[in-house]
Amino acid sequence: MMDPDTAPSAFPLWRSGRFWLGMWLAVTLVLAALLLWDAAPWLRGEPDAAFRYTRLNQWPLGLLWWLLVPAALWMQQNLTMVDWRWPWTLALHALAAALVTALFIFLAAFRLVVANHLPVSFLPVVIGDLREMGGWNYLPALVYLLLIFALYAVSFYREWRAGLRLTQELKVANAQLETRLVRASLDALKMQLHPHFLFNTLNSITALIRKDRTREAEDVVAGLGELLRRSLDHRQEAMETMADALVFLRRYFDIECIRFQDRLQVEYDIAPGCRSALVPSLMLQPLVENAMKHGIAQDPAARLLRISAVRDGTRLILTVYNDGPPLPRDDAVLRNGIGIQNTVSRLQMLYGDEARLRLRDQPPHGVRAEVILPFQTHTP
Amino acid sequence: MTARPRFHGWITLALLGLTALLAAAFGGRREGLAVRPRPPEDGNVLRVACTQLMAPDPHQRHMPLAQYNQLILGLWEPLVECDPATGQPQPAAARSWAWSADRLTLTLALRPDARWSNGERVTAADFVRGWQRLLRQMTAEAETLFPLKNAAAYHRGQLKDAGAVGVHALDDFTLQLELAAPRPTLVMELADPLLSPLYRTDEKVLAGREYFQTASALVTNGPFHLVQASADGYRLAASPWYHDFAAVHLAGVQFVRADNLAIAQLQLAAGVVDLLSPTPFGRSRTMPTVRPFTVETELEPMVTSLDFNVTRGPLQDVRVRQALALALDRSGPIQRYDPGHMVAAWAWVPDMPGRPSLTLLKEDAREARRLLAAAGYPGGRGFPVLAMDLPLASRGDPFPQAWTECWYRELGIKTYIRYGTSTQQAAHLRAGDFDVLYNGLIATVPDAGDLLGAFLGPAEFNGSRWHDEDVTALLTRASSRSGREHLDLLAQAERRVMAAVPSVPVMFQRRQTLRADEVQGWYADPLARQSLKRLQLAAGISARPIRALE
Repeated sequence: MMDPDTAPSAFPLWRSGRFWLGMWLAVTLVLAALLLWDAAPWLRGEPDAAFRYTRLNQWPLGLLWWLLVPAALWMQQNLTMVDWRWPWTLALHALAAALVTALFIFLAAFRLVVANHLPVSFLPVVIGDLREMGGWNYLPALVYLLLIFALYAVSFYREWRAGLRLTQELKVANAQLETRLVRASLDALKMQLHPHFLFNTLNSITALIRKDRTREAEDVVAGLGELLRRSLDHRQEAMETMADALVFLRRYFDIECIRFQDRLQVEYDIAPGCRSALVPSLMLQPLVENAMKHGIAQDPAARLLRISAVRDGTRLILTVYNDGPPLPRDDAVLRNGIGIQNTVSRLQMLYGDEARLRLRDQPPHGVRAEVILPFQTHTP
Repeated sequence: MTARPRFHGWITLALLGLTALLAAAFGGRREGLAVRPRPPEDGNVLRVACTQLMAPDPHQRHMPLAQYNQLILGLWEPLVECDPATGQPQPAAARSWAWSADRLTLTLALRPDARWSNGERVTAADFVRGWQRLLRQMTAEAETLFPLKNAAAYHRGQLKDAGAVGVHALDDFTLQLELAAPRPTLVMELADPLLSPLYRTDEKVLAGREYFQTASALVTNGPFHLVQASADGYRLAASPWYHDFAAVHLAGVQFVRADNLAIAQLQLAAGVVDLLSPTPFGRSRTMPTVRPFTVETELEPMVTSLDFNVTRGPLQDVRVRQALALALDRSGPIQRYDPGHMVAAWAWVPDMPGRPSLTLLKEDAREARRLLAAAGYPGGRGFPVLAMDLPLASRGDPFPQAWTECWYRELGIKTYIRYGTSTQQAAHLRAGDFDVLYNGLIATVPDAGDLLGAFLGPAEFNGSRWHDEDVTALLTRASSRSGREHLDLLAQAERRVMAAVPSVPVMFQRRQTLRADEVQGWYADPLARQSLKRLQLAAGISARPIRALE
């Protein structure tokens, strides 16, 4: 494996701010050296030398922008308009534009003062004279504002692009989540439509009718219908309350109780306050069905299925326990267990690392499926 | 999406600090400032402001004229100089002169004691050399020598033999001038700085601008010689070889470069310079220091006029021209725009030495309307739009607009001002494709005849294309007379010109010079040829130059 410190960076050098700062500094130093070298005879006070013909005086004042542009960039980055202080930002940019203009006028006047051997005390006089002669150049203010406008435009464009990218990612994630939900619904439906479950349920109904327990037979038919209807309802929300999830499970258990006669004992241990907790729709269904299929149905002595919900600080711990045989040693069975993989994927997409699913034996006998996820309720 | 606030208080502090700094510069004191003390090395050096880096070349005339004259006449001495009071020629490099009987030949005797700044004698050949160089240059200044025989042909390349030009060195100290036609003002014209002599190596030195490296390479014959040349100006020192060295009071002259006249004015206030001419145009300003100074004023021999193309349309009618002249209001625009420099003109010739300006014109809008109606254009109805040519450089000049507004307001006559390049204007002038020309004419000698000569015939200065045999005869007679008779004949000619109004003079111009009060010996000269050798600095700061010949 390659050392991350020596690995080539994916970020190109030319996109680094330090690179451009270095370039700017280098050019500035070269320029300063050139100007000083050019003005050296005048600075040394040589009689034939004159400030008037140095590049310090002759080069256009526009070169000052070379020094000002980084300052403008810094100003723009530090005075972002997207906050509650934007009136301050506008005021400061207006002040900066005025200052830049004043700076250009000041330097033009300063050049005149030096080139014409006037005392520095004459600077205000020369500045005033420049104004009277129409020599105040207001173009720098315009240039500054245009520059700032352009920088803001680029900045907002980048933010817009980043937002767009994020939206796309969220859309994809939502689509995936929806797919998982649909798959969960289909899994539940598939379980309900499984021939064994269906035949058993139909046999149970037939037996009830033969025993003239038509009232109970009608309840089973209605319960089966309700199970199928909810499983097919694709418009359901991604989340449901724990109370709703339990209603659905009770329907399921109503049918299973007839099938298993008195052998099935379902216990609910729902802590106060957990009924309003939000859980992913149909998340408990595959866990319960697994417990029935691989637990209760596999051992005639097994009879207990306990569903519990407890709050642990910011977490909600859901448990589905059955006192059936232990888990098979074959990992593949666990990995491919009906609905398990889908449940793990949904939890990962909804909560990331904040949720997990654990399936383990609980000595002396029984299996415990535990889901830990953030405790959430509907915001009032 | 909201971003976290990244506002830093110290940005505000930095901006406020910069604001305070700039506010101090922008709002600082503008009056009662201190005057810079005169440096010890400039104790007896006159410091003159110059607004452009003039070449110390007598054959390259620079504007403003006063600054050019001060530099060139400091370094060079022509044959004569004009008495500023009478305008009459006085000996300079020539000690005397004599006309031939036919007044076509002028013989000048040069001073035997005249020396170049390197000690060599100034000879007649040096003048011939200088004048031939002037004629070889393709500049308008060469026309100064056109009165000389064959000078114009030599300048235009029609004549290759320089010896055929009417300037000859008969011997070292005798210069003979041959004229193509009599010219009574010729001697006065010889005071022109353009007609300076040239040392044998000067042409090369001037062409290569070698004086920037070695100032002494430029050899001159004036009261001062060049000791330093830089982008900031020139430094001159009194020439110990100058024939009248004893009369020179100043140890030197420093020409200090200024970006413009307004800055030069500040240099004078600050104590950086002692003399500035001309002053900035427009209204006078408050000086930021209390340095004592005097505004010296003199009328320039210059007339600004509106020339009418008398060959075109209604302008052929003298009543129309008179109406246009009478409808003008001179004093209003002058007071509004530049009362310090401009003076209303009521005749063609301004004050000249020994000859005050006449009053031949008046302003009378009612009479103007009457004359225009009599000419067939009551209220300006049916009058064509006048086309007035102006150079592009005149776009900022408010006066042409003011004159045309007068015509529209008083007479209902509209004018179309055409701004164009000098080439376009010259083409319009040649083709006669104009109605009015806004013109300026400056005399090169202090003689009224010089300005009136514009009407002698169709020439480039005669924008009106007006010609009158009687005026020509009067001027011809005046040129052969002198004294009172000469002046009277010129006055008759001027009256006749102004009666026909081929051109209406609108303004004369005053030249103003700012002189620090420590500069003494200043005198008025309409041609701005004040000789620096006559000036001196106030006692206490001056030390007369000491003659030390090598």
